[in-house]
Parts: sequence; structure tokens; C-alpha cells
Amino acid sequence: MATARERLAKATRFYQIIWALCLIGMFIPLISPLGLPVVVSEPVKAYYNSIVDLPEGSVIGVSFGASAALLDEQEAQFLATWKTIFEQHHKVIFYCSTEDASIVINNELEVVVPESYGYTYGVDYVILPYSPLGEAGQAAFAQSIRSIYSTDINGDSLDEIPLIKDIDNAEGIDLLIYEYTSCTDIEWAVRQWVVPYNKPVIATTLGCCGPMAAPYYPTQIQGFLSGSGAGTELEVISGNPGPGAAMSDAKNLGILPFLAAIIWMNVKPFIGKEE
Amino acid sequence: MASVIGGLIGTLFIISVMSMLWKDNIFFRFGQAAIMGASIAHYTFMNFQSVHTNAIKPILAGNVLFIIPLILGLLTYSRLSSDVSWLAKYPTNVLIGVGTGVMIAGSLRGQIIDQVKQTILDAFTGLNGILIFIGVVTAFSFFIFTKEHTGALGTSVKIGRVFLMISLGTNFSGEIVWYLTQMIGRLMYILNEFIWPLLGA
Repeated sequence: MATARERLAKATRFYQIIWALCLIGMFIPLISPLGLPVVVSEPVKAYYNSIVDLPEGSVIGVSFGASAALLDEQEAQFLATWKTIFEQHHKVIFYCSTEDASIVINNELEVVVPESYGYTYGVDYVILPYSPLGEAGQAAFAQSIRSIYSTDINGDSLDEIPLIKDIDNAEGIDLLIYEYTSCTDIEWAVRQWVVPYNKPVIATTLGCCGPMAAPYYPTQIQGFLSGSGAGTELEVISGNPGPGAAMSDAKNLGILPFLAAIIWMNVKPFIGKEE
Repeated sequence: MASVIGGLIGTLFIISVMSMLWKDNIFFRFGQAAIMGASIAHYTFMNFQSVHTNAIKPILAGNVLFIIPLILGLLTYSRLSSDVSWLAKYPTNVLIGVGTGVMIAGSLRGQIIDQVKQTILDAFTGLNGILIFIGVVTAFSFFIFTKEHTGALGTSVKIGRVFLMISLGTNFSGEIVWYLTQMIGRLMYILNEFIWPLLGA
């Protein structure tokens, strides 16, 4: 009979082998892309359609709660979303709800340059700085933007910025893109934007938060992206290739050792003595 | 050259943190401390800036009412001393009170009425709707602890347990894929920011 320490050591070795195989599987497509097919799911189609079906020049609010530490999971979503919005010539109000968000959005907009789509800062898009918006902050923002923000990220008064000088609440926003990384935060958008104002909301989040967003689709949120896989799908449907394609191949190959391990561990008790 | 050096530093930090997979070591602890230190400095600065913009600047501009949230915020730190820690109850109560007030109206309609209505309506639209309806009802029955799980309730609980397991499994698979994505992102960083520039590719 193996001791607990020996069993733990054996389990650790098993996981190390799985991760090593996984690492090899992930590395191959990064060096030589495989171009595996991508199927676009319904929530992603609905997300995309929510943006492109808006009349040109509509105002989109982006509640941006990105985390730099989790950017790998969401960068493909962000880049494809910004490109899709800018191609449709919608106006965008970005507002940052996490400490990292303003840095992330500035970096993103160096990759997808709004000016290259004919955009002008202040007229077609504006970035509002970090404010610790919890649910109460979201409610306050929807009621009165100026109760939360008096200036944009550059310190200019909102009343002097053409895009936002006449917008002060949810009425001025045609679509909300709600970006979050804490799984239950989707409830804030439902409670503070959908229920009181009946505003169309689409969401972008991490892969692990997808199951928490799914119950609200399609009745309360019109579409959602969860994880880099959904980012890849958005790249495909919008025709804007980005980092998601390479990531998708690597993920597909990297997951295989885990699938094999899960199947093996479920079958093992039936074919032999379980240790 | 500067970007290669930047990529090299980033790569060294990634490897030092990931060396924990082998065993705890000084490189891991250095990487961890550096990342934690940088994060805390950044978060402290951003939040101080937020307090400055949203409270201190309005007070200096003559909006004296903003001193109330500032004082409430400062009272949170009274927890640091056991003699005056009771003062922290005031900001906590305000936060809980406002939070509850803000969420309760929306949650009643958004998370209970609309969800129940849609679950029932979807049950008549096809197999998916029926499965979701059965899953919701049986999973709820699993949490009935005031009656013994026998008979019809027992059967419902067993079915509910399967749905709960599937739900937990789905969440767990999402977690694994998330870890993989983070790992792939770091590998892409090493390739794109260090190895390819170093090789001139």
C-alpha cells in the first residue's frame, strides 16, 4: 500500500508529464500555424450582429474592466471588437472600471489606430479614466455620467468634448459593450442597464466566465464573447485576422493531453484496481 | 536592440515565475516579489489618483459635501487599531446599505422573474428548452434539505446531481482552457518579443 506522500508524488509526476506534453502541443502551431477550421457560435454571431446592425454613427458605451494579467485571454476579442466598431463608423465612449483598463485600452488603440479609420479623438471616440465602479458606480454612470466623471483621460472637461458634451446618461448610449473579468459582474450590467433602461447589452469576458453569462443570453444580453476562442470566432466572422488564430491552433493541440488524461482517469477505475 | 532587451527581461520574469512548476526557488520568489511590488505600486497610485480626482479636487473647489465620503473612506483604516476599529462599521454599513439598495430592484426582475419566465417559455420551444427546464427544476430539488431525499424527490435529486456535475465540469473545463490560453500567451510573448527579434526574423 503506497503512502499518501508516494501517491502525491506519483500524481505530481503524472501532471508534470501532462503539462510537458501540453507545452509541446502548444508550441508546434506557434512556430508553424496549422490553420485549423473555426466554427462561429451563435452568441458570437449575435454579438457581431449587435454591432453591425446599429445605424452608422450610433453611440456605443464600452464599460472596460480589463486586467493586464488576463489580457492573453481577451486581446483577440478586444482587437476584433474595436476593428468592427471602427469599420462601422460608430462613436465610442470608453470608460475604465479597473486600475489596468486605461493602460490596456491605450495599448490596444496603438494597435487598432482609430485615426486610421478616419476617427478624431473627442469627436468620434473618447476615453474616460479609471474610476472604481462597482455595481453602484455602474448605476450612477447610467443615471449621470458626470456624477462619476468630470474629465476625460487627458483631464479635459466633458462639457468641452464634442462627443460627450450632450450625453449624460444611458439615454445617449445606443449599445453597451460590457467588458469584465470577474464572473458574476455580468449581473451588474443586467441589473443596472437592462432592467431599468432596457438598453441592448453585449458582453466580453474570460472563457471561465462564459457559463455564468450564458443564462442571460439571448433574453437579457444580446450576445457575448467568452475567452480567446470567441475572440478567434469574432476575427473570422468580422474578417479581421489577429492574435486569436494562432492561439486557437495552439489551444486545440495543447488541450489534447488533458482530454486523454480525463478519459484515462474516468476509464481506469473500470479496468483495474483504483489506487 | 532595446526591444530585444525588453523581451529578454520579460522572458526572464516569465521563466522565473514558471520555475515554480519544478520547485520553489529563489528565482521564483524574486519574480513573484517583483510582480507583486509593481502591481501594488500601480494599484496604489491609480486609486490615489481616483480619490484625488473624485474627492480632494472637488473639496478644494468648494464642494465641502465631498468631505463625507472622504471621511467614510478614511474610517475604513480604523481597523488598523483595535481601540477604534469599531469606527470601520460605519463605512461598511454605508457600503452594504447602498449596495443592497442598488441591486435589489434589478435582481428581482433581472435574475428571478425574467429567468423563471424564460425557462418556462423555452420549455415549449424544443429539446434544449426541455433539457434546461428539467435541469433547473431537478438541480433546485437537490438543495431541498427539509425533506428526506426519497421517492419522487429522491429521483429528482439524482437527476439534478447529474446536471450539477455537468455544470461543474463545464466550469472546470473553462478554467483549464483559460490556463492554457494564459500559457500560450506567454509563449507567444517569448517568441514574438524575444526569440524572433533576436534571430532577426
